[in-house]
Amino acid sequence: MKTFLPWLLWLWMCAVLVGAFLYAPPAAGFAEGESSRILFFHVPMAWVSLLAFVAAAVWSVRYLYRGRDPRHDRAAAVAVQLGLIFGVLATVTGAIWANVEWGTWWNWDPRQTSILLSMLFYAAYLALRSAIEDPQTRGRLSAVYALLGLVVTPFLFFIVPRITFSLHPDPVVNTQGKIEMESRMQQVLYASTIGFTALFFWVHNLQCRLQALIERQSEAGGSRS
Amino acid sequence: MWPQASAWATEAAAVFAKDWRSELRTRYALNTLALFAFTTLVVVSVSLGPLGVSESQGTAVLPVLLWLILLFAAAAGLPRSFVHEEETQTAIALRLAATPSALFCGKLAYCLTLVIALEALITPVFLAMMNLSVGAPLLLVLVLAAGGYGLAAGSTLVAAIIAQARGKGTLFSVLAFPVLLPLLLLAVELTRQAIGGDPAGVALTQLILYDATITVAALMLFPAVWNP
Repeated sequence: MKTFLPWLLWLWMCAVLVGAFLYAPPAAGFAEGESSRILFFHVPMAWVSLLAFVAAAVWSVRYLYRGRDPRHDRAAAVAVQLGLIFGVLATVTGAIWANVEWGTWWNWDPRQTSILLSMLFYAAYLALRSAIEDPQTRGRLSAVYALLGLVVTPFLFFIVPRITFSLHPDPVVNTQGKIEMESRMQQVLYASTIGFTALFFWVHNLQCRLQALIERQSEAGGSRS
Repeated sequence: MWPQASAWATEAAAVFAKDWRSELRTRYALNTLALFAFTTLVVVSVSLGPLGVSESQGTAVLPVLLWLILLFAAAAGLPRSFVHEEETQTAIALRLAATPSALFCGKLAYCLTLVIALEALITPVFLAMMNLSVGAPLLLVLVLAAGGYGLAAGSTLVAAIIAQARGKGTLFSVLAFPVLLPLLLLAVELTRQAIGGDPAGVALTQLILYDATITVAALMLFPAVWNP
């Protein structure tokens, strides 16, 4: 069963690729209709990045207030690393599309600004982790910092749109709660989002187990010498 | 209920008094903060040239410079409040002597007085050197008070975190700036409105909300930072 699931994910992502390039129609109303296909990868990546940051905060809460289990600390750290990778990918794919559509790579759009600022925060989280050697102190302090981030970053959602100007296409679910998208595009986008979410949890699981092995090995090596 | 509250207040006041007593012995933080801010101010002013910037550009650019000077001065002076305790190994005695929340409030009061003193020193000189006239002085005072409080509260918590890590000086800036960024954006926006004489918009409410949020978060998280 366990070896079967990654293969299912692989098949699913292949189907998403085929769907994104062959099944979904090019978007109408854009300067380059074909360029809209980047949406099927850009939006899920941004979503996974957000999901990873929220998941990291949840694991931090569990670490701090549920018995300081090192597994939770490891899970939070790995989630932040993956969130940063997906955040960079979402930013880069967004910048490529912005250059095709608007003729500039970067224009301080509210979403660009928000994702950049939250990535600064989580890069600082990783810098903090690398500056503390004792695993328990590291877990405790970085969990506090992750929670501080969860409390402070929502302010950016109110401030940033006021001081920047948006060209961004409507969010998938906009303020009216309506989804305005061709139905085939919707199907591919949802399938892709499910695929990327599963990909995140799979890689997260692998990475956590790998980290646990590395830690156990270095402990064993330390006690032998 | 009340004896407990008064014992708590006595502890907080004792931490505050201790910090100022040891500060007045060396005047390290006072000198660093004031001198750093004043030097940066002079550098900024000289770099802009004797003519300064035109009035229309000034209202847009100068509030940013004012808050950057305050932010970097805070980053230079405030971390010491906790780093010093760890370096001289007095942190253990402090852990035994005070409850975490009282300790945090004492340290916050100390940092707050430092920041307010810094603002009182720097802002008039800044306004004079840059030839800025303030349209709404009351709003400016409000912004400096609310912004200064948020700056002190955020810095106090981050200082407690980095005091237990390596590479404390640079780490403070890396950790504190993303946390203080919403505060900085709001304070700059409000300072612009104060100089232009516009009425304060929704930003003032948001700034006060930010202060309240960071206070509650810090009081909840500080015990986890302080007690191993």
